[in-house]
Amino acid sequence: MADGGTTDGRGIGARVLRKEDSRHLAGRGNFTGDIKRPGQVELAFVRSPVAHALIKSVTKPAGFEKSVFTVADMPGMLPMRAPSKLPGYKGADYPALADGKVRFVGEPVAVCVAATRAEAEDIAQAVAVDYEELLPVVDMLAAREPDAPVIHDGWDDNIVLETFTDDDFSKIADRATVVVKREYRMARQAMNPMEGKAVFVEWDDRVDQLMMWTSTQVPHLIRTGLAQFLGLEQRQVRVIAPDVGGGFGYKVVLQPEELCAAWLARHLRAPVRWIEDRREHLVSGANCREHHYHVTLHATPEGDILGLDCDVTVDAGAYSAYPFTNGLEGAMAHGNLPGPYKLDVYRCRTRTVSTNKPPLLPYRGVARPGVCYAMEMTIDALAREIGVEAHEIRARNMVEESEMPFMSIAKKHFDSGNYAKSVQMAVDMIGLDELRARQAAPMEDGRLLGVGMGSYVEQTAHGTSVFSSWGVAMVPGYEQATVRLTPDGGLELRIGVQSHGQGMETSMAQVAYEVLGIDPDNVTVTHGDTGLTPYSTGTYASRSMVMAGGATSRACKVLAERMEIIGAHLLQCERAEVSVRGGKVISGKGEVSFAEIGRVWYLNPDELPEDVDQGGVEVTMGYRPEPDSGAFTYATHACAVAVDADTGKVEVLDYVIVEDCGTMVNPMIVEGQTFGGATQGIGTALLEESGYDAAGNPLNSTFADYTMPGATNAPHYRIDHIESPSPFTEYGIKGMGEGGTIPTPAAIGNAINDALKSIGAEVSETPFTPRRVRAAIAAAKGEAA
Amino acid sequence: MKSAKFDYDRAGTLGDALATLGNADGEFRVLGGGQSLGPMMNLRLAQPDRLIDLSKVAGLDGIDAAGATLRIGARVTHARIEDGGVPGETGAYMKFVATGISYRSVRNRGTIGGSLAHADPAADWPSALLALGGEVVIAGQDGERKMPFDGFQIGPFATGLGYDEILVAVELPQLADGAKWGYYKVNRKPGEFADAIGAVVMGDAPRAVCGATGSAPFRVDAIEQKLAGGSTELSIAEARDMISGHDPGFDDYELQIHAVALSRAVGRAFA
Amino acid sequence: MSEITVTINGETVTGNVEPRLSLADFVRDHRRLTGTHLGCEHGVCGACTVLMNGEPVRSCITFAVVADGTEITTIEGFDEDEPMTQLRKAFHENHALQCGYCTPGMLVAARDIVTRLPDADEARVRLELAGNLCRCTGYVGIVNAVLQVLEERRG
Repeated sequence: MADGGTTDGRGIGARVLRKEDSRHLAGRGNFTGDIKRPGQVELAFVRSPVAHALIKSVTKPAGFEKSVFTVADMPGMLPMRAPSKLPGYKGADYPALADGKVRFVGEPVAVCVAATRAEAEDIAQAVAVDYEELLPVVDMLAAREPDAPVIHDGWDDNIVLETFTDDDFSKIADRATVVVKREYRMARQAMNPMEGKAVFVEWDDRVDQLMMWTSTQVPHLIRTGLAQFLGLEQRQVRVIAPDVGGGFGYKVVLQPEELCAAWLARHLRAPVRWIEDRREHLVSGANCREHHYHVTLHATPEGDILGLDCDVTVDAGAYSAYPFTNGLEGAMAHGNLPGPYKLDVYRCRTRTVSTNKPPLLPYRGVARPGVCYAMEMTIDALAREIGVEAHEIRARNMVEESEMPFMSIAKKHFDSGNYAKSVQMAVDMIGLDELRARQAAPMEDGRLLGVGMGSYVEQTAHGTSVFSSWGVAMVPGYEQATVRLTPDGGLELRIGVQSHGQGMETSMAQVAYEVLGIDPDNVTVTHGDTGLTPYSTGTYASRSMVMAGGATSRACKVLAERMEIIGAHLLQCERAEVSVRGGKVISGKGEVSFAEIGRVWYLNPDELPEDVDQGGVEVTMGYRPEPDSGAFTYATHACAVAVDADTGKVEVLDYVIVEDCGTMVNPMIVEGQTFGGATQGIGTALLEESGYDAAGNPLNSTFADYTMPGATNAPHYRIDHIESPSPFTEYGIKGMGEGGTIPTPAAIGNAINDALKSIGAEVSETPFTPRRVRAAIAAAKGEAA
Repeated sequence: MKSAKFDYDRAGTLGDALATLGNADGEFRVLGGGQSLGPMMNLRLAQPDRLIDLSKVAGLDGIDAAGATLRIGARVTHARIEDGGVPGETGAYMKFVATGISYRSVRNRGTIGGSLAHADPAADWPSALLALGGEVVIAGQDGERKMPFDGFQIGPFATGLGYDEILVAVELPQLADGAKWGYYKVNRKPGEFADAIGAVVMGDAPRAVCGATGSAPFRVDAIEQKLAGGSTELSIAEARDMISGHDPGFDDYELQIHAVALSRAVGRAFA
Repeated sequence: MSEITVTINGETVTGNVEPRLSLADFVRDHRRLTGTHLGCEHGVCGACTVLMNGEPVRSCITFAVVADGTEITTIEGFDEDEPMTQLRKAFHENHALQCGYCTPGMLVAARDIVTRLPDADEARVRLELAGNLCRCTGYVGIVNAVLQVLEERRG
């Protein structure tokens, strides 16, 4: 029986420093853009400068006819399709290169090939495209209107998906005498991993395979998609994600450029490299978050929330990306709006609409930053209305620990946790009473002080049952891990998920240590390679630690059993007398090192016992939580802000986080993920916006006008934890990679509105830019905006 | 995101650079630190035919405080000014301004002359030096000429520099020790280009500049008169009134933040 | 093409380059020093920061021809450097990196802070780091690491 590590602090729960760090600190990471081969060519894309148009002609520059490819020049490259089984969902082809029509600014129209990127850009600049412009649909509310131009041929409107849940509000009418209505917008953004997309492809004739190195979170899905849309067999495609410079959801889909690069590598028989530049990212990749809400809360004068009625619009952009579809966002908004609260009635309508903007992708938090913002801002509006502290409303309406597991009104199966405790801890940490006292007088510099909070519950590592209900073509099942003892007693661990900053080379080794007691330094974690790892749908939905961690644990346990058989034989004792501990097989009679086990299995099988497991010291095991309805992480964030009423500028003065992700495998990594997520949330709340003019032209195409959070925008976070293990998962782990982003816009928006309450102003549209804050103040004061 | 092709001259002397400019056939651009031109070229927003690099030209990086005016060479970097390279009260003012320009790694390359010649309305030096007063020194085909800052910048990215001229230095007044000055920039993040600039310098006569407009920065005579009359405060409402007559195309929010910048610049000057 | 001679990490190299080649692409693609990363190529994100004659500069908006005659130090060139050794250790201990993409530029900028501003406090460190974007960490570990090294160096 394996009981793995002793208590020397390298297993689950330990702040183990990361194995990944040394290569990056030395500048010896290996990112896709670092790859270079003799004879390679580079790509530059001709991108549409107009939002909606027919392509009348493409004229290639003289002398470069063979260097420019349009969709007509690339037979066998099929349009991407991301089907959904959700009722009423409208699908449309997503051609990797525009096929007769462009539907957003930045859409690839042609691809140019040259020895260097600069030369490829020279060619792209010289390609002349004749467009016949069509009326664009830029705003999501306008896109819903019956007279809006329709973006996809054969559609009768721009509604991609509509969901509706009704309820009987008359049940609460006599008690719910307080009704609070609000309208909110969350802006479109770009995800901006510091490394954009990058892809390097070559055909390897030795194994008759397309070899693609790509900056992705989901190498196996990329392989499946490439094969499907290029007409290859999957055995003919190998996808490797080397070091990946951040993902955040941007890299969970098959990108049109990946498809083009693969086709070109196959047909040109040359290594092909494409590296997305920042302007391409900000223009063509401005693809997340954009929601609109009408929210009505029905409550008692004491603050019991009885009903929630919401009308949600999601701007899905022009296409549906493979494989997650553009229906996911609306479906998730629908299921997550009620958050951690108990409600008597819930009515929700979501409409996901197509517009002439880049296709919506699932950015960290997926829909939940929007729904949390809409719900939590309205709770604070209710608090102001009835004159109580908003945290009291939160606490009295949250699902209680004693009620777990609990099926929410939106059919979320909460597993464990004390939600209200996170609220109280955040109230204490931020020092609400002291802040309220300080608010009685203006700040020394005349700014207005405000305090706000946001709570959320986040479904993580949800599995087969959940994804199949969303109608997505790709449904995750059992996650697998392979462990292999090396002949000298080291461990190779192979997982199909992909680590791109989450530190899984460390945390997965901690799981192995927990079971086997093997030094994490003696564990090599291989991930992100379809040729070497078990099939996995990859890293998304805060699933990797739960799923691949669980699979690693299971595989290590089986490996331990097999090593025990060998070890018992070598120790000349009964199987029941031995156990795996501290990287050895141990009995009362002595111990055998893993190196000794490895030597015997691989090199001296003459010493093996009769009853040895013929599978040897290499094990693949699958894992899925039971039930697989998800492990629910939750948190409350609280912050204090100062609002400069003259400029509208907001400064975050203090920020506290109380989170519960169940058992923490590596608290240092948990905190790092949380701080990073919250800082992205600050970007959403205060800085980041991909705006468009009425013609659909992007207004934020460089970092000079798209403001990213820097070190001065991020506060000095303070964090505390609750650890409520999930009863459904291995070790009680819950996923947590995304959560930090979720409540930040709500917490900051609530703090701003708290600061502005004496003026009677409220903000309701992210980012809360100085201009928007000033406009809110001016509107409340009846001045010109 | 790679620059379009261009030819490159590493000028050995100012004369060589001027001769090349004088014979220009196409768009020839002078390269200072390249911290504004570089991004624009990578984005292909600027596609000059030829760059004339001044980095090896001697005599453009001096700081001379010996005379009645301060002479600062065009190739003096923001970082050198940040580190106190310019003496006296004028130096203190310029140090304050320089410290707020972009980031240190940009300030190490970016130059005062390059910034003025580039004339981005949101940049710091065009506003800050207009408030200080003084002249730019321009080398042309027929020798040097000087132009006062008043009138030097005529619009966004447009100055009184001829196509065949090079900005070689600025000559600035030496502020008396303890002279009042205030500079206030509204932006969302340190290092970003400004959304609004207010600059106030109490030299021989008060000068007040409203900068980071859609066009050239401009002096606000009503504020200058008020300060000349002994006022040491300027309310936002007053500032709004005083700049609204200048019609730089501000919407209400822009009017507001420029008024705030000016009000706070005055506040800083007399703090 | 223009001939340039540059000393990179102590080694003097001569090469012919197109004038439009950035210093970043020169060190990455021509010299295969791929630790210098490109994050925006317009001088905002700081991932490409290297030392030129001992001072941090943006290699993405500095043309290689302009670097003629200079000494360049990339992230690969600091193995014997005391402040960088301290910073690497502190970054590791403070979880100051996740994906690692911004890290080389961040380290070069951090080295400038700890050597140029020995008395910097947290607010100053944040201000000086404002020109280097990190999308992963929220800057917590980075700021803590720089403060730790400042403290160590103050003794």
